[in-house]
Amino acid sequence: MDTLTTSQSTARQFIVIKLGNEQYGISINYIDNIVRMQKITRVPKAQPYFRGVINLRGEVVPVMSLRLKFGLPADEITDKTRIIIIKLEQQSKVGLMVDQVNEVVTLSDESIEKSNIDANNGMAGYISAIGKSKGELISLLNIQLAISDKEQTKEE
Amino acid sequence: MDVSQYLEIFIDETKEHLQNLSELLLVIEKEPEDKATINEIFRAAHSLKGMAGTMGFKRMQNLTHNMENVFSEIRNDKMKITASLVDTLFQCLDALETYLANIQETSDEGTDDNEPIIKLLNEFLATEGEVKNNAAEAAAPAPDKAESSAAPAAEAVSNELAKYTNIPLADFEKHAINEARKKGMKAYGFTVYLDPNCILKAARAFLVFKGIEEVGEVIKSDPSTQDIEDEKFELDFSVFVVSNESYEKVLNIIKNVSEIKDAVGGELPEVHEEQKNEVVHETQRASSDTHKESTPAKTDDKKAAPAKAGKPVANRSVRVDIDKLDVLMNLVSELIIAKNGLVSINNSSDDAVAAGRQNFNEQIEYLESVTTSLHESVMNVRMVPIETVVNRFPRMIRDLSKKLGKKMELYMTGEETELDRTVIDEIGDPLMHLLRNSADHGLETAEVRAQRGKPEVGSIFLNAYQDGNNVVIEVGDDGNGIDVEKVRNKAIEKGTITAEQAEAMTDKDIIDLLFRPSFSTAEKISDVSGRGVGLDVVKSKIEALGGDVEVKTKLGEGSTFIVRLPLTLAIIQALMVKLGDEQYAISLGSIETLEDITKDDIKFVNSKEVIHLRDMVIPIIRLGKLLDVESTEEDKDNMTVVIVRKGDKRAGIVVDSLIGQMEIVIKSLGSYINVNKMISGATILGDGDIALIIDANTLV
Repeated sequence: MDTLTTSQSTARQFIVIKLGNEQYGISINYIDNIVRMQKITRVPKAQPYFRGVINLRGEVVPVMSLRLKFGLPADEITDKTRIIIIKLEQQSKVGLMVDQVNEVVTLSDESIEKSNIDANNGMAGYISAIGKSKGELISLLNIQLAISDKEQTKEE
Repeated sequence: MDVSQYLEIFIDETKEHLQNLSELLLVIEKEPEDKATINEIFRAAHSLKGMAGTMGFKRMQNLTHNMENVFSEIRNDKMKITASLVDTLFQCLDALETYLANIQETSDEGTDDNEPIIKLLNEFLATEGEVKNNAAEAAAPAPDKAESSAAPAAEAVSNELAKYTNIPLADFEKHAINEARKKGMKAYGFTVYLDPNCILKAARAFLVFKGIEEVGEVIKSDPSTQDIEDEKFELDFSVFVVSNESYEKVLNIIKNVSEIKDAVGGELPEVHEEQKNEVVHETQRASSDTHKESTPAKTDDKKAAPAKAGKPVANRSVRVDIDKLDVLMNLVSELIIAKNGLVSINNSSDDAVAAGRQNFNEQIEYLESVTTSLHESVMNVRMVPIETVVNRFPRMIRDLSKKLGKKMELYMTGEETELDRTVIDEIGDPLMHLLRNSADHGLETAEVRAQRGKPEVGSIFLNAYQDGNNVVIEVGDDGNGIDVEKVRNKAIEKGTITAEQAEAMTDKDIIDLLFRPSFSTAEKISDVSGRGVGLDVVKSKIEALGGDVEVKTKLGEGSTFIVRLPLTLAIIQALMVKLGDEQYAISLGSIETLEDITKDDIKFVNSKEVIHLRDMVIPIIRLGKLLDVESTEEDKDNMTVVIVRKGDKRAGIVVDSLIGQMEIVIKSLGSYINVNKMISGATILGDGDIALIIDANTLV
């Protein structure tokens, strides 16, 4: 959760995405870009939740399906499907395939509640906190954990 | 003075000098009388001392200073080179390397004074000095030498304080001093120390200059007046002064400036006559620079040499930041992608635009030739001769020879062979390992060699040469060779393989066992090698570089390890193939031939598919199956097989169809996705699609 904290203000901005019926928030600090669905080249023998690689303006970027990563049914690709490009470190981008990108919300510290869901419960480990906006609940993702490989092997 | 910006240059140049010294010491050990080499050694040591001093590395400076004293004696024929002296000097180099390593990591030289080595050096000086004294009846400089060696500590101290004595004077400055002396003035040198708490250093220094100029004239200062005004000095500076006043008076003027901690000085020795000794410390004269000033005959050649030795004569290379090269490389990559785009537009154009096509084709051809030559030239910039890696090996073999008590000689050829910088940086350790192996396990003891009628001195060789798109480095020896039976028994004993398996294995298979982790056949573990963490590390490192290693050996005659490395890493020529709907690239470098075969050509051996081709039995690999490609048309009657080769081994890769040859840019797949060893990267095609690159070496 500390990793999500920005230094300049107590209010933080999140991009709200939709997977199935649930809404998730990803801190905009880590988002490099959001692109439409495009041709994905399959990479044999990679982790099952990786859909493959895309060509992002001359750069080869691996794309994972958040649905598969979270153990949800496989993606149905629609014209709302988007790939969120996450850049945690230099020269190392990764794309997250999501059903839909809704909006950008600004959450103050008061409207963020630390998640008290049992950490052993599936994808709950990827969720760092719950945000409340306009009467809706948004699960805020711990993006480092969500894209790292370790959590996956632990689950298996 | 802020010297941090020079640290990198200092490190680079020091490395160069140390390497140089190490090579020269090896030469001098064999030819102790070679004057030119001794001079070169002296110059290198002198530059090292100067550089270390400038950077404020006092311990390093002190050690090199003592080395320099020894070299100076040798150069003046006052000392002979002995094996034990060379050993000590090598110890000095090791100590200097330790300093350098510390500096590289922490920007600080560390706290080891290396007193034992310095003491050893001074013992050499002392003993040789006495010999000299007894032999030749106290020739003019001899007492100085004896004195300098007798009181090395005192010298170091006074030398450190009276820094001005180590500052060389230019000809015009000497001239000015002589002119002044003709007019009855006296010449002094001072080193002024400021109080460490002094805030306005430049201002204090200015007051010193002003005071001096009231009674005389400043001939030279170090650092220069400009630098002093800009406060580009630490806590001391040196001035050369001509004045009508007495030494004490001038000294008092300097000391009267507030916040001056101390000033050390003395009258300068006569520049063009025999030494005049006034206030100058006796021992100072032994230190080379003052000595130089005072012996007119030698002034010219000696002075010119150390002053310029900092800029090496031999190496004309330019140091380029590897990051800059990477940027350049990426640009070329983009260019090639653009070109590929053009090519694909060209292919898809229909007849309507056929008119403009002629010109378009020419443009493409032009673009193609530009990108190809640009690629070549950029690759060339990245290429470094392997010399930079292998030049430390002669020294290593010398040390090993002493340590193991075996006589051996290293023969190297092809040091000029060039490899990509990234490969060069990684290849040193594996090669070192192979050489140690040869020295320790390969070569027999002197008795065994005598029995076998081999020359007493064992030969280790390192040959490098270019072979097509690869660079081959062979490391071998004329020693025992690998005892295949011994390896076989050891493997069974260790449980690596069963006795039955051992029966079925060829000699080559057995030798390959040596590359397995924790497999060492050395009977006793020695300091040099034999811990079983060797060959497997060598192998994995070389494979990580996209190369491979194989062994040729004959029992009793020696063995050779053949390391094969790719010439370039970033852009390759590849064959594009189709598997189902997917495109893959296979490096052209590993492809031997393309064959069309029919289903009936496939035979079964050990229930594995093979084909019999020109007297070779080649295993067949169904790439589509390996890569889980859907809807590969498995059961066609006619199949296309790409025969790939790694060393002597071949394999036939079955593909659905061939697309063609293409120059591709290798891109990484990123760090998050787990990539199978078979896939060495990806590339972007002309139409923007991505094709994965198959590393055929892993399939063979």
